[in-house]
Amino acid sequence: MRVILSFIAAIGLIWVGVLESASSSVEDFKRYSDAHVLNHGHGSMQRVLAVGLVGDLVVSKIISDGRDTVIIDGNEEFSLPSPIFSGNPRGPK
Amino acid sequence: MLGIDSFPTSIKQIQLFCLVPTAQKLALMFLLAAVTYGATGIGAMLLMTLLANTHLGKDGAGKHGISIAESSRLGGVAIAIIVIVYIAGLSLMSPYTSGPERDDTFLYLWCAVLFCCLLGLAEDVKPDFLTPMLRLGAKFAVLGALFWLSPALIPLTIGVPAVDFLLNLPVLGWVLVTVFAVGFINALNMADGANGLVPGIALASFAVFFMEYGRPMDGALMFACSIFFIFNVISGWYFLGDTGSYGLGAILLGYGLLGVADGHFSAGFMAALFCYPCVDFMVSVIRRFRAGRSPFSADNGHLHNRLHQLIRLRVRSSVMANSFTGLIISGSTSGAVLLIYVVGLLPPDSDLWYIAFVVEFLIYLATLKYLTSIQPKTQYADVG
Repeated sequence: MRVILSFIAAIGLIWVGVLESASSSVEDFKRYSDAHVLNHGHGSMQRVLAVGLVGDLVVSKIISDGRDTVIIDGNEEFSLPSPIFSGNPRGPK
Repeated sequence: MLGIDSFPTSIKQIQLFCLVPTAQKLALMFLLAAVTYGATGIGAMLLMTLLANTHLGKDGAGKHGISIAESSRLGGVAIAIIVIVYIAGLSLMSPYTSGPERDDTFLYLWCAVLFCCLLGLAEDVKPDFLTPMLRLGAKFAVLGALFWLSPALIPLTIGVPAVDFLLNLPVLGWVLVTVFAVGFINALNMADGANGLVPGIALASFAVFFMEYGRPMDGALMFACSIFFIFNVISGWYFLGDTGSYGLGAILLGYGLLGVADGHFSAGFMAALFCYPCVDFMVSVIRRFRAGRSPFSADNGHLHNRLHQLIRLRVRSSVMANSFTGLIISGSTSGAVLLIYVVGLLPPDSDLWYIAFVVEFLIYLATLKYLTSIQPKTQYADVG
Protein backbone atom coordinates (compact mmCIF):
# COMPACT_ATOMS: atom_id res chain seq x y z
CA MET A 1 0.00 0.00 0.00
CA ARG A 2 2.79 2.37 0.95
CA VAL A 3 4.56 1.60 -2.33
CA ILE A 4 1.43 2.39 -4.35
CA LEU A 5 0.98 5.69 -2.51
CA SER A 6 4.63 6.52 -3.16
CA PHE A 7 4.16 5.78 -6.88
CA ILE A 8 1.13 8.06 -6.97
CA ALA A 9 3.13 10.78 -5.17
CA ALA A 10 6.00 10.39 -7.65
CA ILE A 11 3.73 10.68 -10.70
CA GLY A 12 1.92 13.60 -9.02
CA LEU A 13 5.18 15.48 -8.53
CA ILE A 14 6.20 14.86 -12.15
CA TRP A 15 2.74 16.13 -13.11
CA VAL A 16 3.59 19.43 -11.33
CA GLY A 17 6.25 20.02 -13.96
CA VAL A 18 3.89 19.01 -16.76
CA LEU A 19 1.27 21.48 -15.53
CA GLU A 20 3.84 24.24 -15.14
CA SER A 21 5.25 23.66 -18.65
CA ALA A 22 1.78 23.42 -20.19
CA SER A 23 0.35 26.47 -18.43
CA SER A 24 3.48 28.55 -19.15
CA SER A 25 3.22 27.58 -22.80
CA VAL A 26 -0.49 28.42 -23.00
CA GLU A 27 -0.01 31.70 -21.10
CA ASP A 28 2.75 32.71 -23.47
CA PHE A 29 0.62 31.77 -26.46
CA LYS A 30 -2.27 33.89 -25.12
CA ARG A 31 -0.03 36.82 -24.34
CA TYR A 32 1.57 36.77 -27.75
CA SER A 33 -1.62 36.29 -29.72
CA ASP A 34 -3.51 38.91 -27.67
CA ALA A 35 -0.98 41.66 -27.41
CA HIS A 36 2.10 40.62 -29.39
CA VAL A 37 4.13 41.24 -26.25
CA LEU A 38 7.18 39.05 -25.91
CA ASN A 39 7.54 38.03 -22.30
CA HIS A 40 9.80 35.14 -21.40
CA GLY A 41 8.23 34.62 -17.94
CA HIS A 42 11.70 33.38 -17.09
CA GLY A 43 12.78 32.62 -13.54
CA SER A 44 9.50 33.15 -11.64
CA MET A 45 9.62 31.58 -8.17
CA GLN A 46 6.65 29.33 -8.91
CA ARG A 47 8.31 27.92 -11.99
CA VAL A 48 11.68 27.45 -10.31
CA LEU A 49 10.01 25.51 -7.48
CA ALA A 50 8.07 23.39 -9.95
CA VAL A 51 10.78 22.60 -12.48
CA GLY A 52 14.06 23.74 -10.85
CA LEU A 53 16.89 25.84 -12.20
CA VAL A 54 17.75 23.69 -15.22
CA GLY A 55 14.09 22.88 -15.86
CA ASP A 56 13.34 26.61 -15.96
CA LEU A 57 15.78 27.01 -18.85
CA VAL A 58 14.30 23.97 -20.60
CA VAL A 59 10.72 25.24 -20.29
CA SER A 60 11.75 28.73 -21.47
CA LYS A 61 13.36 27.26 -24.58
CA ILE A 62 10.37 25.04 -25.31
CA ILE A 63 8.09 28.09 -25.05
CA SER A 64 10.26 30.38 -27.16
CA ASP A 65 10.72 27.70 -29.84
CA GLY A 66 6.97 27.00 -29.79
CA ARG A 67 6.39 30.72 -30.32
CA ASP A 68 8.77 30.73 -33.26
CA THR A 69 6.81 27.84 -34.72
CA VAL A 70 3.62 29.88 -34.46
CA ILE A 71 5.22 32.89 -36.08
CA ILE A 72 7.09 31.07 -38.83
CA ASP A 73 4.69 28.30 -39.74
CA GLY A 74 1.41 30.07 -39.24
CA ASN A 75 0.09 27.55 -36.71
CA GLU A 76 0.66 24.59 -38.98
CA GLU A 77 2.40 22.61 -36.26
CA PHE A 78 1.23 24.49 -33.22
CA SER A 79 -2.45 23.82 -32.66
CA LEU A 80 -4.72 25.98 -30.52
CA PRO A 81 -4.37 25.61 -26.75
CA SER A 82 -6.90 23.76 -24.66
CA PRO A 83 -9.90 25.94 -23.72
CA ILE A 84 -9.70 24.52 -20.17
CA PHE A 85 -6.49 26.45 -19.61
CA SER A 86 -6.74 29.47 -21.78
CA GLY A 87 -10.19 30.13 -23.11
CA ASN A 88 -10.06 31.01 -26.76
CA PRO A 89 -6.90 32.99 -27.41
CA ARG A 90 -7.99 34.03 -30.86
CA GLY A 91 -11.53 34.99 -29.91
CA PRO A 92 -12.79 38.44 -28.87
CA LYS A 93 -11.34 39.84 -25.64
CA MET B 1 52.34 2.41 -8.54
CA LEU B 2 50.59 5.23 -6.72
CA GLY B 3 49.12 4.53 -3.29
CA ILE B 4 46.17 6.31 -1.74
CA ASP B 5 48.51 8.48 0.37
CA SER B 6 50.10 10.03 -2.70
CA PHE B 7 46.79 11.51 -3.88
CA PRO B 8 46.00 15.17 -3.29
CA THR B 9 43.77 16.13 -0.36
CA SER B 10 40.77 16.82 -2.61
CA ILE B 11 40.83 13.27 -3.94
CA LYS B 12 40.99 11.94 -0.39
CA GLN B 13 37.98 14.04 0.51
CA ILE B 14 36.12 12.63 -2.47
CA GLN B 15 37.07 9.14 -1.37
CA LEU B 16 35.78 9.75 2.16
CA PHE B 17 32.61 11.17 0.68
CA CYS B 18 32.26 8.06 -1.43
CA LEU B 19 31.98 5.89 1.66
CA VAL B 20 28.83 7.67 2.86
CA PRO B 21 25.94 5.45 3.92
CA THR B 22 22.73 4.90 1.96
CA ALA B 23 20.65 7.60 3.68
CA GLN B 24 23.19 10.30 2.89
CA LYS B 25 23.43 9.15 -0.73
CA LEU B 26 19.66 9.33 -1.03
CA ALA B 27 19.64 12.80 0.53
CA LEU B 28 22.28 14.00 -1.91
CA MET B 29 20.47 12.50 -4.91
CA PHE B 30 17.18 14.13 -3.94
CA LEU B 31 18.91 17.46 -3.24
CA LEU B 32 20.56 17.50 -6.68
CA ALA B 33 17.27 16.50 -8.32
CA ALA B 34 15.44 19.29 -6.47
CA VAL B 35 17.99 21.97 -7.38
CA THR B 36 18.15 21.02 -11.05
CA TYR B 37 14.51 20.06 -11.76
CA GLY B 38 12.48 21.20 -8.69
CA ALA B 39 9.39 19.25 -7.62
CA THR B 40 9.40 17.41 -10.94
CA GLY B 41 12.96 16.22 -10.30
CA ILE B 42 12.00 15.00 -6.81
CA GLY B 43 9.08 13.07 -8.35
CA ALA B 44 11.32 11.48 -10.98
CA MET B 45 13.94 10.58 -8.36
CA LEU B 46 11.24 9.06 -6.13
CA LEU B 47 9.97 6.98 -9.05
CA MET B 48 13.49 5.72 -9.77
CA THR B 49 14.09 4.91 -6.09
CA LEU B 50 10.87 2.89 -5.96
CA LEU B 51 11.63 0.99 -9.16
CA ALA B 52 15.19 0.30 -8.00
CA ASN B 53 13.76 -1.39 -4.90
CA THR B 54 11.32 -3.69 -6.67
CA HIS B 55 12.23 -7.36 -7.04
CA LEU B 56 11.62 -7.26 -10.77
CA GLY B 57 14.71 -6.95 -12.97
CA LYS B 58 17.25 -7.45 -10.17
CA ASP B 59 20.83 -8.20 -11.14
CA GLY B 60 22.93 -10.23 -8.76
CA ALA B 61 26.25 -8.83 -7.51
CA GLY B 62 28.91 -8.86 -10.22
CA LYS B 63 26.52 -9.69 -13.04
CA HIS B 64 26.40 -6.30 -14.70
CA GLY B 65 29.55 -4.83 -16.27
CA ILE B 66 32.04 -3.86 -13.58
CA SER B 67 29.47 -3.49 -10.80
CA ILE B 68 29.93 -5.71 -7.76
CA ALA B 69 26.73 -4.69 -5.97
CA GLU B 70 23.18 -6.00 -6.36
CA SER B 71 21.31 -3.61 -8.60
CA SER B 72 18.21 -3.10 -10.72
CA ARG B 73 18.06 -3.21 -14.52
CA LEU B 74 14.89 -1.15 -14.75
CA GLY B 75 16.51 2.25 -15.41
CA GLY B 76 15.22 2.25 -18.98
CA VAL B 77 11.70 1.52 -17.73
CA ALA B 78 11.91 4.49 -15.34
CA ILE B 79 13.11 6.79 -18.13
CA ALA B 80 10.28 5.57 -20.39
CA ILE B 81 7.62 6.19 -17.71
CA ILE B 82 8.89 9.72 -17.02
CA VAL B 83 9.04 10.65 -20.72
CA ILE B 84 5.60 9.17 -21.47
CA VAL B 85 3.97 10.99 -18.51
CA TYR B 86 5.61 14.26 -19.50
CA ILE B 87 4.84 14.13 -23.21
CA ALA B 88 1.30 12.79 -22.75
CA GLY B 89 0.55 15.58 -20.26
CA LEU B 90 2.05 18.25 -22.47
CA SER B 91 0.10 16.98 -25.51
CA LEU B 92 -3.17 16.98 -23.57
CA MET B 93 -2.82 20.33 -21.87
CA SER B 94 -0.82 22.59 -24.14
CA PRO B 95 -0.61 23.53 -27.82
CA TYR B 96 2.22 21.04 -28.27
CA THR B 97 1.69 18.50 -31.04
CA SER B 98 4.11 15.59 -30.68
CA GLY B 99 6.25 14.46 -33.63
CA PRO B 100 4.47 11.13 -34.26
CA GLU B 101 1.13 13.00 -34.54
CA ARG B 102 2.30 15.37 -37.23
CA ASP B 103 4.96 13.50 -39.18
CA ASP B 104 5.07 9.92 -40.53
CA THR B 105 8.86 9.74 -40.20
CA PHE B 106 8.63 10.39 -36.45
CA LEU B 107 5.70 7.96 -36.17
CA TYR B 108 7.71 5.13 -37.73
CA LEU B 109 10.78 6.08 -35.72
CA TRP B 110 8.90 5.95 -32.41
CA CYS B 111 7.26 2.65 -33.37
CA ALA B 112 10.78 1.24 -33.92
CA VAL B 113 11.91 2.72 -30.58
CA LEU B 114 8.94 1.12 -28.82
CA PHE B 115 9.73 -2.26 -30.37
CA CYS B 116 13.39 -2.01 -29.33
CA CYS B 117 12.31 -1.11 -25.78
CA LEU B 118 9.97 -4.12 -25.61
CA LEU B 119 12.74 -6.37 -26.91
CA GLY B 120 15.00 -5.10 -24.12
CA LEU B 121 12.23 -5.31 -21.51
CA ALA B 122 11.73 -9.02 -22.23
CA GLU B 123 15.44 -9.53 -21.55
CA ASP B 124 15.43 -7.37 -18.39
CA VAL B 125 12.44 -9.09 -16.84
CA LYS B 126 13.40 -12.62 -17.86
CA PRO B 127 17.08 -13.01 -18.86
CA ASP B 128 17.69 -15.27 -21.89
CA PHE B 129 13.97 -15.25 -22.69
CA LEU B 130 14.96 -14.59 -26.33
CA THR B 131 18.01 -16.10 -27.98
CA PRO B 132 20.72 -13.64 -29.13
CA MET B 133 20.09 -14.60 -32.78
CA LEU B 134 16.36 -13.96 -32.44
CA ARG B 135 17.02 -10.53 -30.89
CA LEU B 136 19.49 -9.68 -33.63
CA GLY B 137 17.07 -10.82 -36.33
CA ALA B 138 14.23 -8.81 -34.76
CA LYS B 139 16.38 -5.68 -34.71
CA PHE B 140 17.32 -6.15 -38.36
CA ALA B 141 13.65 -6.61 -39.30
CA VAL B 142 12.41 -3.57 -37.38
CA LEU B 143 15.16 -1.19 -38.39
CA GLY B 144 15.08 -2.45 -41.97
CA ALA B 145 11.35 -1.72 -42.07
CA LEU B 146 11.94 1.70 -40.51
CA PHE B 147 14.43 2.79 -43.19
CA TRP B 148 12.32 1.25 -45.95
CA LEU B 149 9.25 3.23 -44.82
CA SER B 150 11.21 6.40 -43.96
CA PRO B 151 13.97 6.88 -46.52
CA ALA B 152 14.29 10.47 -45.24
CA LEU B 153 16.29 9.01 -42.35
CA ILE B 154 19.03 7.82 -44.72
CA PRO B 155 21.69 10.52 -45.14
CA LEU B 156 22.74 10.91 -48.77
CA THR B 157 26.07 12.53 -47.98
CA ILE B 158 28.42 12.11 -45.03
CA GLY B 159 31.44 13.88 -46.48
CA VAL B 160 33.27 10.71 -47.60
CA PRO B 161 32.92 10.39 -51.42
CA ALA B 162 33.09 6.57 -51.65
CA VAL B 163 30.50 6.08 -48.90
CA ASP B 164 28.31 8.85 -50.35
CA PHE B 165 28.29 7.00 -53.69
CA LEU B 166 27.15 3.76 -52.00
CA LEU B 167 24.52 5.54 -49.90
CA ASN B 168 22.99 7.02 -53.03
CA LEU B 169 22.41 3.57 -54.55
CA PRO B 170 18.80 2.80 -53.57
CA VAL B 171 18.93 -0.71 -52.12
CA LEU B 172 22.58 -0.69 -51.09
CA GLY B 173 22.12 2.56 -49.16
CA TRP B 174 19.22 1.00 -47.27
CA VAL B 175 21.24 -2.15 -46.48
CA LEU B 176 24.26 -0.15 -45.29
CA VAL B 177 22.22 2.08 -42.99
CA THR B 178 20.29 -0.90 -41.56
CA VAL B 179 23.52 -2.75 -40.76
CA PHE B 180 24.99 0.41 -39.24
CA ALA B 181 21.83 0.97 -37.16
CA VAL B 182 21.82 -2.56 -35.71
CA GLY B 183 25.54 -2.25 -34.98
CA PHE B 184 25.03 1.13 -33.28
CA ILE B 185 22.31 -0.15 -30.94
CA ASN B 186 24.42 -3.18 -30.03
CA ALA B 187 27.43 -0.92 -29.51
CA LEU B 188 25.53 1.24 -27.03
CA ASN B 189 24.33 -1.88 -25.22
CA MET B 190 27.89 -3.22 -25.08
CA ALA B 191 29.25 0.07 -23.71
CA ASP B 192 26.71 0.08 -20.86
CA GLY B 193 29.17 -1.28 -18.34
CA ALA B 194 30.06 1.59 -16.01
CA ASN B 195 28.01 4.05 -13.96
CA GLY B 196 27.37 7.23 -15.92
CA LEU B 197 28.93 6.00 -19.18
CA VAL B 198 25.96 5.46 -21.50
CA PRO B 199 23.70 7.78 -19.44
CA GLY B 200 26.40 10.46 -19.78
CA ILE B 201 26.64 9.97 -23.54
CA ALA B 202 22.83 10.05 -23.83
CA LEU B 203 22.58 13.14 -21.62
CA ALA B 204 25.17 15.05 -23.66
CA SER B 205 23.48 14.00 -26.91
CA PHE B 206 19.97 15.02 -25.84
CA ALA B 207 21.38 18.32 -24.57
CA VAL B 208 22.84 18.94 -28.05
CA PHE B 209 19.58 17.95 -29.79
CA PHE B 210 17.54 20.09 -27.42
CA MET B 211 19.76 23.15 -27.88
CA GLU B 212 19.66 22.70 -31.65
CA TYR B 213 15.96 21.95 -32.15
CA GLY B 214 14.18 22.85 -28.86
CA ARG B 215 11.78 19.92 -29.25
CA PRO B 216 9.84 19.14 -26.03
CA MET B 217 10.61 15.44 -26.58
CA ASP B 218 14.34 16.17 -26.41
CA GLY B 219 13.73 18.28 -23.29
CA ALA B 220 11.81 15.41 -21.63
CA LEU B 221 14.51 12.89 -22.57
CA MET B 222 17.23 15.23 -21.28
CA PHE B 223 15.33 15.62 -18.01
CA ALA B 224 14.81 11.87 -17.54
CA CYS B 225 18.44 11.10 -18.45
CA SER B 226 19.71 13.81 -16.06
CA ILE B 227 17.83 12.32 -13.12
CA PHE B 228 18.94 8.81 -14.06
CA PHE B 229 22.53 10.05 -14.45
CA ILE B 230 22.50 11.53 -10.91
CA PHE B 231 20.99 8.32 -9.48
CA ASN B 232 23.31 6.00 -11.38
CA VAL B 233 26.54 7.87 -10.63
CA ILE B 234 25.91 8.47 -6.91
CA SER B 235 24.30 5.18 -5.90
CA GLY B 236 25.31 2.58 -8.49
CA TRP B 237 22.06 0.72 -7.65
CA TYR B 238 20.47 1.21 -11.00
CA PHE B 239 21.34 0.40 -14.62
CA LEU B 240 19.71 1.22 -17.91
CA GLY B 241 19.21 -2.45 -18.66
CA ASP B 242 18.48 -3.65 -22.18
CA THR B 243 15.25 -1.61 -22.25
CA GLY B 244 17.24 1.56 -21.73
CA SER B 245 20.24 0.79 -23.90
CA TYR B 246 18.13 -0.49 -26.84
CA GLY B 247 15.55 2.28 -26.48
CA LEU B 248 18.01 5.14 -26.04
CA GLY B 249 20.17 3.62 -28.79
CA ALA B 250 17.24 3.65 -31.22
CA ILE B 251 16.28 7.24 -30.32
CA LEU B 252 19.85 8.56 -30.59
CA LEU B 253 20.29 6.69 -33.85
CA GLY B 254 17.09 8.11 -35.35
CA TYR B 255 17.68 11.68 -34.22
CA GLY B 256 21.33 11.51 -35.26
CA LEU B 257 20.56 10.18 -38.74
CA LEU B 258 17.76 12.71 -39.20
CA GLY B 259 20.08 15.53 -38.12
CA VAL B 260 22.72 14.46 -40.65
CA ALA B 261 20.15 13.85 -43.43
CA ASP B 262 18.65 17.33 -42.85
CA GLY B 263 22.12 18.91 -42.93
CA HIS B 264 21.92 20.36 -39.39
CA PHE B 265 24.78 18.17 -38.22
CA SER B 266 27.74 16.74 -40.07
CA ALA B 267 28.40 12.99 -39.92
CA GLY B 268 31.74 13.94 -38.34
CA PHE B 269 29.88 15.64 -35.48
CA MET B 270 27.85 12.48 -34.81
CA ALA B 271 30.99 10.34 -35.08
CA ALA B 272 32.68 12.51 -32.44
CA LEU B 273 29.57 12.54 -30.22
CA PHE B 274 29.15 8.75 -30.28
CA CYS B 275 32.84 7.91 -30.61
CA TYR B 276 33.22 5.70 -27.53
CA PRO B 277 30.46 3.12 -28.10
CA CYS B 278 31.21 2.86 -31.83
CA VAL B 279 35.00 2.61 -31.53
CA ASP B 280 34.83 0.28 -28.51
CA PHE B 281 32.42 -2.00 -30.41
CA MET B 282 34.65 -2.15 -33.50
CA VAL B 283 37.84 -2.69 -31.49
CA SER B 284 36.16 -5.39 -29.36
CA VAL B 285 34.93 -7.25 -32.46
CA ILE B 286 38.42 -7.14 -34.03
CA ARG B 287 40.05 -8.15 -30.72
CA ARG B 288 37.77 -11.19 -30.40
CA PHE B 289 38.33 -12.22 -34.03
CA ARG B 290 42.07 -12.10 -33.46
CA ALA B 291 41.69 -14.21 -30.32
CA GLY B 292 39.65 -16.78 -32.31
CA ARG B 293 36.42 -16.13 -30.39
CA SER B 294 32.92 -15.17 -31.42
CA PRO B 295 32.81 -11.41 -32.10
CA PHE B 296 29.70 -11.14 -29.92
CA SER B 297 30.96 -13.13 -26.92
CA ALA B 298 31.12 -11.13 -23.70
CA ASP B 299 34.46 -10.35 -22.08
CA ASN B 300 36.17 -7.85 -19.81
CA GLY B 301 38.66 -6.46 -22.28
CA HIS B 302 36.82 -3.17 -22.94
CA LEU B 303 38.60 0.08 -22.22
CA HIS B 304 36.13 0.83 -19.41
CA ASN B 305 36.94 -2.52 -17.75
CA ARG B 306 40.66 -1.84 -17.88
CA LEU B 307 40.34 1.78 -16.76
CA HIS B 308 38.14 0.65 -13.89
CA GLN B 309 40.78 -1.80 -12.74
CA LEU B 310 43.35 1.00 -12.68
CA ILE B 311 41.04 3.34 -10.74
CA ARG B 312 39.89 0.57 -8.37
CA LEU B 313 43.46 0.27 -7.07
CA ARG B 314 43.35 3.92 -6.04
CA VAL B 315 39.78 4.53 -4.89
CA ARG B 316 38.42 2.69 -1.86
CA SER B 317 34.74 2.83 -2.80
CA SER B 318 33.82 0.32 -5.50
CA VAL B 319 30.81 2.41 -6.54
CA MET B 320 32.92 5.52 -6.98
CA ALA B 321 35.63 3.63 -8.88
CA ASN B 322 32.86 2.49 -11.21
CA SER B 323 31.39 5.99 -11.47
CA PHE B 324 34.74 7.69 -12.03
CA THR B 325 35.36 5.27 -14.90
CA GLY B 326 32.07 6.15 -16.56
CA LEU B 327 32.43 9.88 -15.95
CA ILE B 328 35.98 10.04 -17.29
CA ILE B 329 35.02 8.26 -20.54
CA SER B 330 31.68 9.97 -21.18
CA GLY B 331 33.07 13.35 -20.11
CA SER B 332 36.16 13.16 -22.30
CA THR B 333 34.22 12.05 -25.39
CA SER B 334 30.58 13.17 -25.63
CA GLY B 335 31.03 15.70 -22.81
CA ALA B 336 33.91 17.36 -24.69
CA VAL B 337 31.83 17.49 -27.88
CA LEU B 338 28.96 19.09 -25.93
CA LEU B 339 31.37 21.67 -24.52
CA ILE B 340 32.78 22.54 -27.95
CA TYR B 341 29.22 22.81 -29.31
CA VAL B 342 28.06 25.07 -26.44
CA VAL B 343 31.10 27.33 -26.69
CA GLY B 344 30.60 27.47 -30.46
CA LEU B 345 34.17 26.62 -31.45
CA LEU B 346 32.90 24.62 -34.44
CA PRO B 347 29.53 24.76 -36.18
CA PRO B 348 27.67 21.43 -35.89
CA ASP B 349 27.51 21.01 -39.68
CA SER B 350 31.28 21.33 -40.16
CA ASP B 351 33.26 18.38 -41.53
CA LEU B 352 36.13 19.46 -39.26
CA TRP B 353 34.41 17.39 -36.56
CA TYR B 354 36.07 14.38 -38.19
CA ILE B 355 39.34 15.70 -36.73
CA ALA B 356 37.80 15.59 -33.24
CA PHE B 357 36.69 12.01 -33.95
CA VAL B 358 40.20 10.99 -35.09
CA VAL B 359 41.72 12.58 -31.96
CA GLU B 360 39.26 10.66 -29.73
CA PHE B 361 40.01 7.45 -31.63
CA LEU B 362 43.78 7.87 -31.23
CA ILE B 363 43.40 8.62 -27.50
CA TYR B 364 41.25 5.49 -27.16
CA LEU B 365 43.88 3.30 -28.87
CA ALA B 366 46.78 4.82 -26.92
CA THR B 367 44.97 4.40 -23.59
CA LEU B 368 43.91 0.83 -24.37
CA LYS B 369 47.45 -0.06 -25.43
CA TYR B 370 48.91 1.45 -22.27
CA LEU B 371 46.39 -0.25 -19.98
CA THR B 372 46.86 -3.58 -21.77
CA SER B 373 50.62 -3.30 -21.34
CA ILE B 374 50.35 -2.80 -17.56
CA GLN B 375 47.54 -5.35 -17.03
CA PRO B 376 48.73 -8.27 -19.16
CA LYS B 377 47.87 -11.13 -16.84
CA THR B 378 44.67 -10.18 -15.10
CA GLN B 379 41.01 -11.09 -15.43
CA TYR B 380 40.92 -8.31 -18.05
CA ALA B 381 43.39 -9.96 -20.41
CA ASP B 382 42.01 -11.65 -23.51
CA VAL B 383 41.60 -15.36 -23.38
CA GLY B 384 43.33 -16.92 -26.34
